[in-house]
Amino acid sequence: MSVLRITDLRKRYGAVHALDGASLEARSGEVHALLGENGAGKSTLIKILSGAVRHDGGSIALDDRELRIRSPRDAVRAGIGTAFQELSLIPDLTVAQNLFFGREPLGRLRGVRRGRLEQEAAALLEQLGIERIAATALVRTLPIAQRQLVEIAKAAARRPRVLILDEATSALSPAEGTWLLELARRTAREGAIVIFISHRLAEIRDVADRMTVFRAGVDVGAGAIDQIDDDEAVRLMLGRRVERLYPPRREAVGEEVVLAARGLTLGTRLAGVDLDLRRGEILGVGGLQGQGQRELFNALAGATPARGRIELEGREIHPTSPRRALAEGIALVPEDRQREGLLLDLSIRDNIALPVIERISRAGFVDARAETRMVAEVAERLQITAGSWAREAGSLSGGNQQKVVLAKTLVSGARVLLLYDATRGVDVGTKSEIFTLLRELAGSGMATLFYSTDLQELTNVCDRVAVMADGRIGGILAGPQLTEENVLRLSVGGSLPPVAAEAVR
Amino acid sequence: MTDRRQWLRRNQATLLAYAMAIALFLVTSAFAHGFATWNHTRVLLVQACFIGIVGLGQTFVILGGGVDLSVPWMLNATATLLTLWCHGQAANLVWVLPVLLAMAVIVGLVNGLGVTLLGVSPIIMTLGVNGVLQGALLLITNGGQSPTAPHAIQQLATGNVAGIPIALLVWAAVALIAWLLLSKMSLGRQLYATGTNARVAYLSGVRVGRVTVLSYVISALASALAGVLLAGYVGEAYLGMGDVYLFSSVAAVVIGGASILGGRGHYVGTVAGALILTLLAALLPILNLNPAALQVVYGFAILLTVGLASLRLGGT
Repeated sequence: MSVLRITDLRKRYGAVHALDGASLEARSGEVHALLGENGAGKSTLIKILSGAVRHDGGSIALDDRELRIRSPRDAVRAGIGTAFQELSLIPDLTVAQNLFFGREPLGRLRGVRRGRLEQEAAALLEQLGIERIAATALVRTLPIAQRQLVEIAKAAARRPRVLILDEATSALSPAEGTWLLELARRTAREGAIVIFISHRLAEIRDVADRMTVFRAGVDVGAGAIDQIDDDEAVRLMLGRRVERLYPPRREAVGEEVVLAARGLTLGTRLAGVDLDLRRGEILGVGGLQGQGQRELFNALAGATPARGRIELEGREIHPTSPRRALAEGIALVPEDRQREGLLLDLSIRDNIALPVIERISRAGFVDARAETRMVAEVAERLQITAGSWAREAGSLSGGNQQKVVLAKTLVSGARVLLLYDATRGVDVGTKSEIFTLLRELAGSGMATLFYSTDLQELTNVCDRVAVMADGRIGGILAGPQLTEENVLRLSVGGSLPPVAAEAVR
Repeated sequence: MTDRRQWLRRNQATLLAYAMAIALFLVTSAFAHGFATWNHTRVLLVQACFIGIVGLGQTFVILGGGVDLSVPWMLNATATLLTLWCHGQAANLVWVLPVLLAMAVIVGLVNGLGVTLLGVSPIIMTLGVNGVLQGALLLITNGGQSPTAPHAIQQLATGNVAGIPIALLVWAAVALIAWLLLSKMSLGRQLYATGTNARVAYLSGVRVGRVTVLSYVISALASALAGVLLAGYVGEAYLGMGDVYLFSSVAAVVIGGASILGGRGHYVGTVAGALILTLLAALLPILNLNPAALQVVYGFAILLTVGLASLRLGGT
């Protein structure tokens, strides 16, 4: 029997401690579940085990033999196979070529024996019970769920001693999910160690023998699966955190619906979203990552138009481009401020004025005085500390950069604000300022949609929280029901203990 | 950091280019008698205006994140068709010039729409258009000589007003327009935004496609204008007359401090780039160097300025 022993593992990215002394112990023959919130350090651990990044401290030992994993090659040699959530397949190669990448059957002159490669791949797919995937198909042509199956098959094909399944079920249908759980169990039975990462508690109960919970880069609990019930697992994931930095909510939010979405559909990512955003309200959007939140925001902002009906103050609108959405008064603070929010090489002034540059021009000429006045006004309101509006936006701190992005939405005269993960990489002080500003804006009638991966933020900043799952709104929480536990429960497909979730409208 | 220091840092490459141009002029003057006279300087400036005008269009395209490789045969086509259709008769200009203008707009639209709508890379798209223009022109002319340019056009390119060459006045006028567009108008802001990060510009409500197409139209128009002037300057058109402007127009933009990746630079810098390239060309006969050495010198000039520019950026 072999044992994987991870001890006091550390990894720092700049000032962020992604892993801060995390330990985990798993034995052969067991499926070991790893739980934790987004950002708890699970992904970092997997990256280290699979050789994508190197750890700063701590040790990884298999059978009391220290492993030195410096590259993906080392990881494979040590017997660690990983099925990544973000797939590691090469889209322009066939399924067979991907499955045996780097260890193709060679003929004389070291040429790849294509026929044999495909035979072996087909045999492998059949043995795993997914022979409906053609070995000769290009990965690019497969739907996302089948690609995930190939990714899993690729990891399992080498018969690794440690098989890591990173949120492998998130893209799968229920039937495929069952197949995967069966594969995990069988692999463990055959003597391997299976590390199973998932947010779905029910699934974990179904498949795992033991579990370890991570929080903020540290393991905060571990034990046999029947020793830790759901409540305990959720409590471990969240921990007891201090609540400050959040401004008080307003007593009552108006009933007037500013933005209404009906049946928003986009491929398989949005499966009919209905949403009502009221005047003066901050409506949170939660759920696991990749449940359609990004698509919802992009659809409302015109960045990726979706099918369905969008109404602004009772009138149907068609935001087919960000330009048109902005003209209607819908402004987006995009996910990645460095790549989507800011022109890093250009000045603060140029950045802030860009959305309205045509509005403050006469006959094509920019009214420089009006521009300066406008920029100074909004920058002062947001307390952007820069020294000069001519300074390059890229030279600002993360918090001030985000304020410049917010300034862009304010000068555009938005009535609806869409904030997608606007507090990521922002220091605590600026976060608090941003929350206060959002509350202030809401007080003057702004309707805000607020997506965050941080449960604490969602429950403390928002008036209501819509939890998304599988491209739909799975439930809306408000009032006393709006707790981190309940958001998490809805996210992982659980039910609410005290009262049922508000029905989806 | 003060606004002035910001300004200096931002414009360091351009200031450097002007310093180089002045230094080149002074050094050459010290070695060659009659170099620094107004008569000779005037000739140099007129020579610089061809690179300068083609470089104007190239500046807009490069700032927007593209590059226009169709300039040589756009220029050549305009010059050749002008002389061919006019038959030396100035009266024909009444219809020839509007047709050439329309042609330039169409070429610019084809380039721009190919890049924005079809998503073809700018290098491939404009190279393809350049090839089409070259082939079409060879078919039309059968590779033969074309007639001399009408007198009025020759006058435009070589004449003087109050001792100042008309060609220079034309250059000054389009330079002023370019400066207004880039520094004073919303189009300029949107062009810089597009070239810096098209995704951010799009999400900020900029009509990225329209701005990009416009930059290619401006480039085609600039090349056409240079073609008209050059036909008048030389007195005739010949196949291959535009070839040198492919390299020199891009070189002028880069030497003038622009980033080849877009979003950074200004036409003010390109003007300095055009002057430097012209001075280098004038320097060769004085140093008894083979004209072929010009390419080598141009190459080193680019490497030198780009090297200096990256030193500057590395320090911040």
